[in-house]
Amino acid sequence: MNEPGSLTPGAEGSSGSSSQRSSIILSSRSSISRNLSNHKFPSSCSGEEKDQLIGIIKNSSLKAEDLSQLCFLKLSGMTKVQRQVLLSDYQIDEDFISSLSGRAIMIKPRTSIKEDALAIPLCWNDHLKIQCAAPGNTIGHVYEVVGAIEKQFESRLNFSFSKEWGYLTSSPASLGTALEISLLVHLPALAISPDIAEFMKNLSKIGCTVGGYSSSSPEVTGNIFRISSSRTLGKSEEEIVEEMNAICLNIVDEEESARRKLLKKDRLGAKDNVFRSYGLLKYARILSFEEALELLSILRLGLDLGIIGKIRDFDYFEIINMIGDAHVISSFEMGDRATEDEIDLKRAKLIRDSILED
Amino acid sequence: MRIINNMTCDFCKKNVATVHLIRVQNDSVEKVNICSECARDFSFFSEDDFYKDLSNILSKIFQSDQESIYDSRTSQSLASIDIKKNKSCPFCGTDLKSIKKKQVMGCPHCYGEFRSILLPIIKAIHRDTQYRGKIPEAVPRKVKLEKSISDLRKRLKREIFIENFEEAARIRDKIKQLEKNIYE
Repeated sequence: MNEPGSLTPGAEGSSGSSSQRSSIILSSRSSISRNLSNHKFPSSCSGEEKDQLIGIIKNSSLKAEDLSQLCFLKLSGMTKVQRQVLLSDYQIDEDFISSLSGRAIMIKPRTSIKEDALAIPLCWNDHLKIQCAAPGNTIGHVYEVVGAIEKQFESRLNFSFSKEWGYLTSSPASLGTALEISLLVHLPALAISPDIAEFMKNLSKIGCTVGGYSSSSPEVTGNIFRISSSRTLGKSEEEIVEEMNAICLNIVDEEESARRKLLKKDRLGAKDNVFRSYGLLKYARILSFEEALELLSILRLGLDLGIIGKIRDFDYFEIINMIGDAHVISSFEMGDRATEDEIDLKRAKLIRDSILED
Repeated sequence: MRIINNMTCDFCKKNVATVHLIRVQNDSVEKVNICSECARDFSFFSEDDFYKDLSNILSKIFQSDQESIYDSRTSQSLASIDIKKNKSCPFCGTDLKSIKKKQVMGCPHCYGEFRSILLPIIKAIHRDTQYRGKIPEAVPRKVKLEKSISDLRKRLKREIFIENFEEAARIRDKIKQLEKNIYE
């Protein structure tokens, strides 16, 4: 097998030395949910009560130096495209924008995808959800960022806590540590191997939930999986972080072994697939988001396996964050009336310009 | 079952063990030898238990493991709540019917109000009912100490279960020390 070479940008923070590692573990995310004691959970609050709660949380942040740099946004004051860009940039589940009234968010503005995506959705399922995402395997880092932000709030707000069940949340499924660690992983070889079913079964056996790239649909696109810790009671925060770190290494191993098997079994088939994907990306004029994701996934695999050269190296995660509908609309200033074909046309051009043509 | 012979205590390794507990579960045999002094030291053995019935002690040691066996028959969702006897939370007014329908609680106080109804559901979701995470800064020192002690007691039971008596003795000393701290 050819060595992939010193490719793969954006490997900062990656725990491994392998250049493949960051093309497998795309991103790590940590989140904790908190509620103010002696206040109703958002789902049983009136609009006015939610606005009041948001006011309390916002005010508490103004006095803290680390928090005052955050940007405060009300969902109802944003356009549809702005909301979609926000969800994608900060890796927030789509359910957050299922209702707009009485919901707000605090975010740390950033200039590049390599920076931490720190966001605090307010009055979603719980009063606050503090979450941070960063590229690569950065579980320890994002966990710490979230903890530091929580500390700032904790000294100003009283969180509801029970000695028996820990931090209380609106759903009993997240009470306890109310911590969720999740990974966005790219598994192109494992996804087509017969071992995938067993692999997923084992993940759910140890208490992980597995989903696709889009939080609103269970379908897997572009061979991207979101793997999240789900148990929040009976384990300490450190144990959850440790476990997810171990799972992360295991995922990389499984994918790497699936890649070796693939090359051994059908190198020509793999090569053919990679070049077909390259051809479609280079010559297709309309590309849907889903199709682009699938093709880019195979092309990335081709680069990792060293079976295609002479094309510009690219960061898969960075690209998929650029070519979603909302990003295409906003970067080409297309307005609300853009048709699907117009968006797909611009997307195809964007991909050609950024990775296939000099 | 009680067996008497001349063995030293598994904990202090000094005194003669006067209490010998044996239990056969499936194919494995578990055995603990304790001197009466050490047995009294373990704060989860109440003095009454100790003199009344030793099988109580044993059942306490092994109970934690029995409890953690996941019962797949229990439902994992709030939809399984029985609303024949509907009641509401005095703080937020949310009733069981609404919790069942919306699948979320009304406020933090609901957990205390509906504790007995929620317990089996929480157990089914998490396969555990013991919180082991961090404790907020604002929680009083006494509560934190109590929490550490109860965590240590759980560990103590586990160590005894796997017959790691050296570690168990260490944990027992730590518990004693913390208990002294609480009342200082």
